[in-house]
Amino acid sequence: MSALLHPQLLCSGLEKLTNVALSLNLHGKKSLDKLEQKTLSIHLQEIGFPLSFTVIAQKVLVNTFAEHADCTINTSIKTLLLLKKEQQLTELIKQDKLDILGDIKVAQQFAHIAETLDIDWQSELAKHIGDIPTYKLTRASHYFTKKLKFASEQIQADASEWLVHEKRLVVTNSQISIFNQQVNDVSKQVELLINKVEPLLDKHAELSSKILKDHCE
Amino acid sequence: MSTQDQNHQNNSTHFGYQTVDKSEKESKVAGVFHSVAAQYDVMNDLMSFGIHRLWKRFTIDASGVRPGNKVLDLAGGTGDLTAKFSQLVGHEGKVILADINSSMLNVGRDKLRDKGLVQNIEYVQANAQYLPFEDNTFDIVTIAFGLRNVTDKDMALRSIYRVLKPGGRLLVLEFSKPEHDLINKAYDFYSFNILPKIGELVAKDGDSYQYLAESIRMHPDQETLKDMMDNAGFEQSTYKNLTGGVVALHKGYKF
Repeated sequence: MSALLHPQLLCSGLEKLTNVALSLNLHGKKSLDKLEQKTLSIHLQEIGFPLSFTVIAQKVLVNTFAEHADCTINTSIKTLLLLKKEQQLTELIKQDKLDILGDIKVAQQFAHIAETLDIDWQSELAKHIGDIPTYKLTRASHYFTKKLKFASEQIQADASEWLVHEKRLVVTNSQISIFNQQVNDVSKQVELLINKVEPLLDKHAELSSKILKDHCE
Repeated sequence: MSTQDQNHQNNSTHFGYQTVDKSEKESKVAGVFHSVAAQYDVMNDLMSFGIHRLWKRFTIDASGVRPGNKVLDLAGGTGDLTAKFSQLVGHEGKVILADINSSMLNVGRDKLRDKGLVQNIEYVQANAQYLPFEDNTFDIVTIAFGLRNVTDKDMALRSIYRVLKPGGRLLVLEFSKPEHDLINKAYDFYSFNILPKIGELVAKDGDSYQYLAESIRMHPDQETLKDMMDNAGFEQSTYKNLTGGVVALHKGYKF
């Protein structure tokens, strides 16, 4: 059976991406000094292998062995994205969304680096294609983002109109709350009825046993 | 078989599809690598479409290297594995880049120095069959795309076994036999028709890349190499096929 190389491909891509991002960081690489020779290992629920990030000589190496990590995190991709905000660490641990083994400071320092990463994309792009094309490209991207946002909102609104009013496949929020209210009312009435019926049933049982006793005598 | 024939067989080996005298192979292989050294990295990327980088990453991941380890990167050529190992073993560890070919060693040394990797790397020109190191010296020995060029592979494996520490491991990354016929046919077509032409165009040396293709076919398949490792004394020898068996990573321990 041939081994798949996707973990190595992912590690290679992440390593390249991380180091490029760090080299473009406006705050420099000083924050990496504290993490020299430290390893953070992340086990994501969605992928079947660990990702270990080791800082060596102001570079981040990414590989798949986690045996000698200073800090190991077990979590999911969704939670990992929240981890960017350092202050959320404790909250996520409390919610059992995050399991941390080892030195928590290592995880916090990595999270701090991610949080403070500041890249001037426009300047970087201008270095390669020039100022005027960058300006035009940025303006065009803002224009298209705005248009795209508007279009997506429009599509969403149109789709809900069509589903609710034309095809009647979905009900509105107010209809759901009216329905919920009606269900609650019925539940209450049923409860009242049960309260009335139960004593009657008890009485019926009592009478039946009395009649049976008399009949036997 | 006459004694003369037997002697001839014992003293002969393969150089690609040619049968040559054992004493001749070293100089012929040296000729190939002196010729391709300067373009070696570019050719590796072109020939493998960059996948050789993933094969090497897989090897490093499988090595279980840790800070402080002493690593021998045998037939290390232009130092791809050495570069990674040097970072992973840290200041307390050491990596020795060894190659029989001085041109490859020079290219490797220049490349690693340009990358600023100088602190924990040593360079040794050495023949894998006669390793110039004391017994029980290394935690890890790797030989990537080098074993098939060695004249006497059994002798090289015994030599590697000798220099490994007890608990140490050997990792052999080498071209091997594809698992499926279809891959095998496509691979054959690529190796014998396209590869030499790329070599001719880029490295101006089609013959060396013809040798590369032939030497891959003459190299022992996965099971045979595993048996050779067992015979040399390695324990728990295993292998993993990569990219459908085009390449295999063999791993064995010395206990």
